[in-house]
Amino acid sequence: MIFRAVEDADLIQQAARGAVEAYNLLVSRWEKRVYNYLLRITGNREDALDLTQDVFLKAYQNLRKLDDPGRFAPWLYRIAHNEAYSMFRKRRPETDVDELEPESVETGIVFGGSSVFPMELSLAVAGALERLSPEQREAVVLKIYQGFKFEEMAEILSCPVSTVKSRLYSAFDLLKAELAPIRTRGVS
Amino acid sequence: MSCSPIDLMDYLLHELAGPRRAEVEEHVQNCVACREELDRLRLTQTALMSLGEEEMPRRIAFVSDPVFEPPLWRRAWGGFWGSGPRLGFASAALLSIAILVSALTRPAPAPVPRTVTVVREAGGIGADEVDRRIQAAVASSEARQNRKAEELVKRIADRDRRQIEALRLAAAQEVDYYQHNERVLTANFSALRPSEGEAR
Repeated sequence: MIFRAVEDADLIQQAARGAVEAYNLLVSRWEKRVYNYLLRITGNREDALDLTQDVFLKAYQNLRKLDDPGRFAPWLYRIAHNEAYSMFRKRRPETDVDELEPESVETGIVFGGSSVFPMELSLAVAGALERLSPEQREAVVLKIYQGFKFEEMAEILSCPVSTVKSRLYSAFDLLKAELAPIRTRGVS
Repeated sequence: MSCSPIDLMDYLLHELAGPRRAEVEEHVQNCVACREELDRLRLTQTALMSLGEEEMPRRIAFVSDPVFEPPLWRRAWGGFWGSGPRLGFASAALLSIAILVSALTRPAPAPVPRTVTVVREAGGIGADEVDRRIQAAVASSEARQNRKAEELVKRIADRDRRQIEALRLAAAQEVDYYQHNERVLTANFSALRPSEGEAR
């Protein structure tokens, strides 16, 4: 008997044929990452949880349209991005998406749970991220916290790679300046 | 390699291909400014990573409820037509079938025109004979046309000659009339002269 790890592609194929258990396994592999992505761009736990549920429901309904299972991650995050921005527009339809900011600065969202970094640094990072524009923040989240390549980010955000790079580089310049005083105080 | 902050960013984010990555590494070892900038970028990245992932308040799970499940035929139908490539393949296959059916059920060709049959019935006539007959027919037609043209020219010439003759006759009559008048006037004038002498 040969054992092998069940790949996402296997689960996707089974789920596309209606196997709910296979889809639940797929959800369990991705839900935490999607939730944290949505949490970073919305800044609200309840919204992030509701959106995560909507994202996986929509993904299940459209799973048969995914031709290449290898592209599942960018495809799933594209849904998540659209769901989040759809919520932003519904709540503030008169506001341009570029001006949207997270509802509240929840500086206590996460403190890493790591003893290496003190709370002061985590607070500073959370504050610095909040001060970025929504586009810059999302680029940082997708690259630093979710580990996507530039091409995948362009697919998720539906924009050219050059735009993705521009947002990320400008965000890093700002973050570098914001976090420099913390580092020079020897916190890191 | 020159100092480029963009290359340093791409290097940090693992977006540079092998050779380019090696170039940046070599440059950073020799360039103090770039080395310090790369250190700052690394510290920023490390600081960002201090924010870990948060656990979900509730896990997500879907239940299979037959009431909400679409019927099997609809899932199969949707699964097939929901794919772009499959849809394209199916369209091509349907088009091929339509062409094949059309070719197999096409009606028999229309009968050959009677004139062609006549030519076939005259079998035995060679191409030279056909050419000769065509040339003969063309020559006959040309001769007929030439004859008609000559008759027409002759008719026009006769008409012109008659018109000229008529004009000439009319002119002669005019001349005769004026000559006659002249003679009458001369005679009258001569007749008047003696009467003038007698009057003296």
